[in-house]
Amino acid sequence: MNRQLKNISRKRPLFLAFLLVCGIITASAEDGSRLDTTPLSTRKQAISFLEKQADLRPSNFWPNVNPVIFIQNLRNNLEDPLSIHEGKSTNFCAYAALSYIPLHDDPLGFIKFMLKIYKEGKAIYGKEYFEPSKEVKLAAGTLTFKGELDIRPADQLWFMLLADHFKGYLNFFDKQYNPGDENRLWAAVNFAKYNRMVRKLFNYEVTAVGSDLFKPGIRDMYEYLADKLATGIVTLFVNNVNLYKRNQTRLKFGVPTHFVILLAVEEVDNKIAITYWDYGGRTRMLITERFFKKILFGVSHATKKTADAR
Amino acid sequence: MRGKAVYTISVLCLLLLLASCTSSKVFSTDYYNQHEKTLSEIEQSYKKLYEQNRFSVGFTDRSFNDISLEIFTDSIKYIYEFSINEPRFLDTLKKFDLPVQGIVDLINKMKSIQCIWVNNLDYYSNNQKRSLVFLSIRKLAFHLPFLNEKYYILTFYSQPQYFDEQGRLLSTRRQRKLRKINDDIFHRINDKVCYTVSERFR
Repeated sequence: MNRQLKNISRKRPLFLAFLLVCGIITASAEDGSRLDTTPLSTRKQAISFLEKQADLRPSNFWPNVNPVIFIQNLRNNLEDPLSIHEGKSTNFCAYAALSYIPLHDDPLGFIKFMLKIYKEGKAIYGKEYFEPSKEVKLAAGTLTFKGELDIRPADQLWFMLLADHFKGYLNFFDKQYNPGDENRLWAAVNFAKYNRMVRKLFNYEVTAVGSDLFKPGIRDMYEYLADKLATGIVTLFVNNVNLYKRNQTRLKFGVPTHFVILLAVEEVDNKIAITYWDYGGRTRMLITERFFKKILFGVSHATKKTADAR
Repeated sequence: MRGKAVYTISVLCLLLLLASCTSSKVFSTDYYNQHEKTLSEIEQSYKKLYEQNRFSVGFTDRSFNDISLEIFTDSIKYIYEFSINEPRFLDTLKKFDLPVQGIVDLINKMKSIQCIWVNNLDYYSNNQKRSLVFLSIRKLAFHLPFLNEKYYILTFYSQPQYFDEQGRLLSTRRQRKLRKINDDIFHRINDKVCYTVSERFR
């Protein structure tokens, strides 16, 4: 074997160099995969970090976000992560839904990012570099008539910078923020964009079924969702008009418009009881499997990347 | 014969046009004046019931037989769908210790005036939390298929509100900014009651 290698090294130095480079790449990939884990922290760590920020000064980058209310808003998010609210009539539901992930699994990472972007106007979260547009910086903290979101400037800032940064095909015709765009296509999120955001921001392994137009074709809804819930965080992409029965029109063209976080699923009397998070709270609803299949367009399953898993 | 057919089609088109041009303002104020007493009873009784237990209720079908009931506890909101005569409905009210007779009376009053939804809506004015009672009414006029149905929304406030010269609801007296509720602009019926037309009843 050694002799063969010596022969090769004499005859084919380029081939040897190639083997050496391959070896280096493989070794560094192995090191990288060990480091490529989902960042995790505790609520206690995050609160402790936030308590050291009591003297936060007003930010020149976010002139309409009061530092005291900003800190209070972040504290509320830590103490009651389910209270984060997308606001009434906005298209922020996807951004609010994905906030469930860092607020539960890495609140310290979330708080550090929020404070850095507040102080410096730019920051890195996961694999993304954020430097929001001037329009967004001016608008954060000024949104009104959105219910609970009116008094949560940190959440306004967070949702708006996500909408400003991540773009999907739905945002093609409305890429720049103008007042009122929080209710329009500027803030809209398609299914692939949602999954991309979760991957890039929080470094989760994301698998998804379904799409923006076609339903996922899950045979046994309860079994499928129970299985997914047992191993990760499940987001459902649903038709909101049907979910909350907002009109009585018989002919309903179902398109998915809303993201919710699935918290629990049970089988009750031949129906499915789902408990989910949206609009700042938990909701439990008993529905038939047929109706569920009618409103469900996508299931996104996010699992943590851990060193053990590799 | 052909002339008669053209005449019939023309009359039908005219009727359709007239039906679609009905003034929303006239409908809302007329409707409000006609049913003021019942609307006021619904608002008052809902407010009283809501103080005891937080809930929203409404009809989800056109024949006023199916209801959607939302019950709020401190930690979770429950959404139920019932037929109005289903025993499960009353059982659920009892299970959550809700005032059965009060809610049944409320639903009957709503049905009597084609009111399809009532809920309490929180909003913020100068960073202060306020609430209003939100009622939706289905307009029982001809409805073209494939077009979204319109609903008349009435909002009842505890305090007198401010309006601009066109009768549009303002956010505060000082700010001349229009107050939007569920992204809709509202108009004055009286100091404490406003209306709008919307494609969504809630």
